Amino acid sequence: MNSYSLFTWRHPALSLLMIVSVGTAASYGHPFLLDNSIMIGIFSLMALSVGISYGQAGILSLATATFAAIGAFATAILTVNYRLSPYLGLLAAILLPTVCAYLLARCILRLSPLPLSIATFVLGGLVEVLIKQGGDFTGGYIGLSGIPRLSIAPSAQAMHFLTWAVVLLVVVLCVSLMNSSTGRAINTARHDPLRAVADGVDVPHLLSNTFAFSGAIAGVAGWLYAHHITYIGPDSLTTQVSITVLLMAVVGGVKVILGPIFGAAILMVVVLYLPAAESQGMFFGSILVFMLLVAPNGLLGSRWRLPTLRGGLERPTSPMLLMPAKEEN
Amino acid sequence: MGIEVSNVTVRFGGITALSEVSVSLSPGQIVAVIGANGSGKSTLFNSITGLVSVASGSIRIDDDEVIRIPPHRRIAGGLARTFQTPRFDPRITVEKAVLCGFYPVARSGFVRSLLHTPGSAREERTIRRECDGILALFKLDKLRSVPMGELPMGQVRLVEVARSVANKPKYLLLDEPAAGLTRVEQELLSAEIRNLVARGVGVLLVEHNFNLVQQLSEHVVVLDRGSILFTGAPAELAGNRAFVDAYLGTSGH
Ligand SMILES: Nc1ncnc2c1ncn2[C@@H]1O[C@H](COP(=O)(O)OP(=O)(O)O)[C@@H](O)[C@H]1O
Ligand SMILES: [Mg+2]
Repeated sequence: MNSYSLFTWRHPALSLLMIVSVGTAASYGHPFLLDNSIMIGIFSLMALSVGISYGQAGILSLATATFAAIGAFATAILTVNYRLSPYLGLLAAILLPTVCAYLLARCILRLSPLPLSIATFVLGGLVEVLIKQGGDFTGGYIGLSGIPRLSIAPSAQAMHFLTWAVVLLVVVLCVSLMNSSTGRAINTARHDPLRAVADGVDVPHLLSNTFAFSGAIAGVAGWLYAHHITYIGPDSLTTQVSITVLLMAVVGGVKVILGPIFGAAILMVVVLYLPAAESQGMFFGSILVFMLLVAPNGLLGSRWRLPTLRGGLERPTSPMLLMPAKEEN
Repeated sequence: MGIEVSNVTVRFGGITALSEVSVSLSPGQIVAVIGANGSGKSTLFNSITGLVSVASGSIRIDDDEVIRIPPHRRIAGGLARTFQTPRFDPRITVEKAVLCGFYPVARSGFVRSLLHTPGSAREERTIRRECDGILALFKLDKLRSVPMGELPMGQVRLVEVARSVANKPKYLLLDEPAAGLTRVEQELLSAEIRNLVARGVGVLLVEHNFNLVQQLSEHVVVLDRGSILFTGAPAELAGNRAFVDAYLGTSGH
């Protein structure tokens, strides 16, 4: 085999587990590294949400961070305003974004994917307004602080384990889904909805379910975010963040299960060492252009060719790709 | 029992693609639909599967009126079809393409697939085993991991037929399945169609090759500009003047 795709072994969760173990050993006891590792994990979840909705189902959403914000505010309101358990908050942080995403997709998917993208953008703006106008309930412009840490993860070290356990769990779920009839139908619907109909697929229903699942993943990311930062405000998880995680997923490879995590890790590490925060926009812009030119399928999704011993570059074949990339050529 | 298309009219804007067309298909029967390009054969398939809406008429499948039933439920009810121009993702492998055809028989649904419950894992294993059987039947097992985009058209059509039989349909609509097939592939395909029919499957077949039509079917429907020109046995057709004009007249030279 003279071509390969990084880290896409038999079960992606195993490769991820190995990388996480290395990361855990490297960051053990370093508060600064642990904090970054937790944030990478949280952004990985949002990027995975993009991977499922955009990469697998072809639904371009600009509301990933909005669903995370809904999850974060749900748990913040329950735990700060009502002194309820964060685990009740988790339930709300999963259910609320799931229902929002499902209803949004259900109402709009009978049109075509573009109106749904616009609707997700509108939803982002709407939620921001609702948060700012929510008074004491949402904390208004100031936000809600004093969100309790989790009893199962009181320290940064424990939070690191919890976050990455959740990422691993989500990867396992995504892999099971995509290796089933349902997952194959999702891919067919992305490529050609009419073909999916002829396979017997109720396309709007299936894509709404998929979008709801991606909303749930984002909601869990929001829950972790709220209990890690212990503060959530109107400027925490904005449409700007949605665009950033979209970029992360695209850079890593949206159609490969681990691609979005890889993209999130790379971009967050690079941003960490970027001299000025103001240059971020320019940096992301150039990354996007670079990716579109060099590897439109993302870092993990591209078939990186190695010269063979015979010297030539043979036609790439990549049976190791979990999700074969499609079209565009 | 069977598919009963009665007086179906389909219009696209000003064009009447089908006008008052009636066709019936019983289980275990092969009905061939022939006619020049643009005569409405594919539109007939699309109206049976529900991909176009009909202006008037009725379509009954096993005595149930299906006009108001969405296409995915008609497929789930035991219908399958291929497309004249195969629709497939060129990047997926032959095996995955055939696996896609199993969707209507998969019972797991979204949540159980996500959670990989024992039931859904078992179902996935069964589906993969049955897929192996179908690949072997169509002599596609050696090509299982070849991307669809790399296959010659004949084999793409075979994969499409394999994909359509995966859900064990009661009625199979094949839109020009033999176009571009080699002689050997055509024989394989006719043998497979005969097998299906022997098991009680009803097959509606659009086919330009009149020899193949004569070999396979006892009943032929000839469409001409959206209307039925002739229905009956293929042997009667050779002497039918209107048929010769309309059909062989345009594509027979
Ligand atoms: N989706 C469509 N929109 C508009 N016109 C169509 C559509 N599908 C088919 N037609 C028209 O209907 C007529 C019948 O087409 P078709 O059923 O594809 O014929 P055949 O399969 O016999 O070649 C043609 O005139 C064609 O242009
Ligand atoms: Mg046609």
